[in-house]
Amino acid sequence: MQLRDTVTTALRAVRGNGPRSLLTMLGIIIGVGAVVLMTSVGESMQSVILGQISALGPKTIAMWPGKNGPEQGAATLNPDFDSFTLSDVEALRRLQTISNVAPIIFVQGKTTYGTEQTDTRVVGTTPDYFLNQVVDVAEGRLHDGQDELEGRAVAVLGPDTAKDLFFNQSPLGKRIEIGNKKYTVIGVLESVGSQFFQNMDERIVIPFETAHIVAQRSYVDMITAMSTGDTADAVADIQFLLRRRHNIIPPETGSETDNDDFLVRTAEQAQEILGTVSVSLTAFITMIATISLLVGGIGIMNIMLVAVTERTREIGLRKALGARRNDILLQFLIEAVILTVLGGLIGLLLGVSLNAIIVGIARKFLDRYIFALNPIAMVAALIMAAGTGLIFGIYPARKAAELNPIEALRYE
Amino acid sequence: MPKKESSSLIEVKNLYKSYFNEMIETPVLFDINLKINAGEFVAIMGPSGSGKSTLMHILGFLDVPTKGHYHFKGESTEEKQEDELALIRSSSVSFVFQSFNLLPRTSVIDNVLLPLLYHSATRPADRRARAMKAIKAVGLTDRATYLSNQLSGGQQQRVAIARSLVTEPEVIFADEPTGNLDSASGKHVMEILQNLHKEGHTIILVTHEKATAEHAERIIQIMDGHIVSDRKEFSRRIASQIKEFK
Repeated sequence: MQLRDTVTTALRAVRGNGPRSLLTMLGIIIGVGAVVLMTSVGESMQSVILGQISALGPKTIAMWPGKNGPEQGAATLNPDFDSFTLSDVEALRRLQTISNVAPIIFVQGKTTYGTEQTDTRVVGTTPDYFLNQVVDVAEGRLHDGQDELEGRAVAVLGPDTAKDLFFNQSPLGKRIEIGNKKYTVIGVLESVGSQFFQNMDERIVIPFETAHIVAQRSYVDMITAMSTGDTADAVADIQFLLRRRHNIIPPETGSETDNDDFLVRTAEQAQEILGTVSVSLTAFITMIATISLLVGGIGIMNIMLVAVTERTREIGLRKALGARRNDILLQFLIEAVILTVLGGLIGLLLGVSLNAIIVGIARKFLDRYIFALNPIAMVAALIMAAGTGLIFGIYPARKAAELNPIEALRYE
Repeated sequence: MPKKESSSLIEVKNLYKSYFNEMIETPVLFDINLKINAGEFVAIMGPSGSGKSTLMHILGFLDVPTKGHYHFKGESTEEKQEDELALIRSSSVSFVFQSFNLLPRTSVIDNVLLPLLYHSATRPADRRARAMKAIKAVGLTDRATYLSNQLSGGQQQRVAIARSLVTEPEVIFADEPTGNLDSASGKHVMEILQNLHKEGHTIILVTHEKATAEHAERIIQIMDGHIVSDRKEFSRRIASQIKEFK
């Protein structure tokens, strides 16, 4: 029997058993669908996060007061922490390995314009902040050294905040109220989307000096900077400096950062963490795929054994008509492979469709979320599905091939 | 492999067959000696359990003898492997079964061309034409696209006969071909077999009914695994045909 005929015969059997074939494939469909969906979501998330990191620039360094958790990634943040003083900022500015040191004070209070009101974050920081964030104005101007020097009441708005407060009119020159103080809008930032799940288009930036006067405190909530050379060297310098200034002695056992009262993070680190996450995600998906394909494969074997029993007479007839052992073996093996490959293709389609739905929903919350697929995972899942058919189809197919034609023909 | 020149299509010498069930031997055929020439219409007749079906299975290469010699077309078949036997089944012999054994939910033409899938001598492009020719020979041309289960029993058996013709085999084995049919359909099927015989086909009919066996020109009677008689039945068959014409 020619391979083409064997495939046609097997296809006909799969089609002839329509609903049952579909149910048989269900395990494979779900398995492959889950793999495709999860890898696609993983791919989307990765590109979102990578997009954020690259928007920040690989040399950007951020520092917060706070304590390291047992793991580098899981840090406990305490917004009331007052470990970063203005003299710390001055000391950091003297480091050779970093530049653009931009202290940040988050100003409390609602922002109003006429009857419009918003809870948007108000960031009091120096003009260097814009360099570290890689963001420029879409209209108007950023605040500058002169604004800082004089502690002027001026504000730069994120584009979403500008829209919230002013709809379609230009906010430039308008007076908004933050807390109980009036500020003149001097610029609107260009849209940069979300960074680390915060909508960066929703913010109000005022000069650091102004915020310092309003908040009436000598500690800062956060500091951003940029490394001038090697980022790791810059981080080491920052840690050394801050530990000395805060009288911190690193513990003899455990992590060097365990006693720190501050956190230093770089975009490079985030990228590394992302790499670790994607490795464990891959391991997790592989495990799910293996389990579901195993379960699916057992289902295929089960139904193929039933099919061999049901079609005993057909097998006897084919043998009487001159089918060789291998003709029968191949027919049932190919039938099993068709079931798994077809199941794999349906699963693929299902995974891609569900992914499209998820993308649609996610875009409502995360405008930088994009539709992405992982083609390697898709091909691998299909190959694994076909392999499952081969492995779990061989036993029923052998059983069919070994049937005695006379007994098979008499089977009732 | 020793080759023996012979004019007989089928030549069986001192053939024995036993079944073994957990080391217990159940002998079925004893010292069978038989010659069948090309073009003959032979009935193997005997009650159930006589061994007639076993003999047919051995002659049709579905089973192998325990002992003895079987020459087919002058060639010894004793040493043949499973796949070689399959090759003979695909090209030289064919079967018509009591219960038709058509593929369900499959069209007449697909049923008829099924043997050609295993018949390497037929090119795929020629299959449909050959199948239609065989369907025409049993008078079912207008039913070619029907599904097998849409046909009456008699029609299904005619499809089975068409299927047995399609590879143009040397021998057609018919195992109780009328056993599941009403008498009118049975008569029709036997007429077709007789016509095929007249066209030169070799037909070996297995039956327990004397009336069916009498359609053949030679009746071999089997009882308890032995051939008890082997006689030509020209006169009776012709007499019965003359009766039909009246």
